[in-house]
Amino acid sequence: MKIYNPQGRVGHPPATQAEALPSLAGKRIGILDNRKPNAGLLMGRIAERLAADHGAIVSIVESKNAAISAPDEVLGKLTKEVELVLTGSAD
Amino acid sequence: MEATTESDLPEMVDVASDDPEVVLAAYAERGWGDGLPLVAPTEERVAAMLGDTANPDEVIATLPPRFGEATRRMIAVNAVLAGCRPAHLPVLVAAVRALDKPELNLRGVNATTHPVAPLLIVHGQAAVDGEYNAGIGAFGPGNRANAATGRALRLILLHIAGAVPGPGDVSTQGGPAKYSYCVAENVEESPWGSYATDAGIDAASAITIHCGEAPHNVHDMESSDPASVLDKVASAMVSWGSNNAPISQGEFFVALCPEHASLCADHGWSRADVASYLFNKATVRVGDARQAFNLLAWAPWQIALGDDDIVSMTEHPNNIKVFVVGGAGKHSSVIPSWGMTKSVTLAIGEDS
Repeated sequence: MKIYNPQGRVGHPPATQAEALPSLAGKRIGILDNRKPNAGLLMGRIAERLAADHGAIVSIVESKNAAISAPDEVLGKLTKEVELVLTGSAD
Repeated sequence: MEATTESDLPEMVDVASDDPEVVLAAYAERGWGDGLPLVAPTEERVAAMLGDTANPDEVIATLPPRFGEATRRMIAVNAVLAGCRPAHLPVLVAAVRALDKPELNLRGVNATTHPVAPLLIVHGQAAVDGEYNAGIGAFGPGNRANAATGRALRLILLHIAGAVPGPGDVSTQGGPAKYSYCVAENVEESPWGSYATDAGIDAASAITIHCGEAPHNVHDMESSDPASVLDKVASAMVSWGSNNAPISQGEFFVALCPEHASLCADHGWSRADVASYLFNKATVRVGDARQAFNLLAWAPWQIALGDDDIVSMTEHPNNIKVFVVGGAGKHSSVIPSWGMTKSVTLAIGEDS
């Protein structure tokens, strides 16, 4: 016998991952600090390491509320001014 | 060959029978369900749940993080799974509309490490028609309407919204309120009438959703004046462990039992008076808050306070929502918020 799949359809196309950058040399890195404890510290250190080891440039640090999406203007600025964004630190 | 996407999943699943254990196993192997036995959502049962519902495939809301489409049909599927009766479907449709409101912030509610769950409160005629429990033991267990409707809402979040522990819900410990969390307002014993009416809803039936923690008990069997009872309520609101402490926009739902509510009303206190009193009594020293949290998501006027000033656990008395639920006895409860969310009250209308 048949019963329903309880999930239904997905309304938006599933997100896809961006292509990896072939090299970080000369690429600008932005940090989207979600203001979770130590998030800025962690991502700042990672950015510094990427700059030292791979020739990237730390360009922008933006912040957002941890519980809500970043505003469009912040995402637009990052899209325009950097090639790589570090974000997503949790508790 | 292209990878199969979720949109390509079949609408129906083959199972050997509608035996609850067979359904449970078939769902579990696909990562579906809440771990408890399920009623098989056959075409016949779902059709009976929908009845003469118009537009069963109209999208009511698209629920994150999966962005699944919640149609009346898919809401009905999950209502059948949970054990609901058709009278509960309009409540669930209105609840899904509430979950879709931006101020509720469902994406954050589902994704956070906090144990938040949407509390569904049923108001008015729908509570009568659906035989919801507003009295003794309203938060459970024992009443089909409360248990099944709350469970159906969780199944909607698990299946349609994709709030599956791990990939879609990273709640550190989870919580019992994430199984089923639904009560009816005890309007018959509310000295202030309907909460929904005071929230601006002019309708025979309504629902409220508040995304918060499980209830924190407040017992007071001795006091004979409102202030003494509400001082105990305030003490339950003051907790450094709740998200209300660092997030000032957070609401508190204060579920007064009928006896505590009537004590307040008998002394001439309105619902707003109760909230104002609690706003002034559920307070902490600002310097202590600054010591407890490196980051305070407070209103600007609160940030400007000095260390020795006193500040309320929420930024405005309107964030303290008082309603009546329960039966005989002197136990009330406080339901703190996740914080970055606002409650929503909606009419259950013809579009439900």
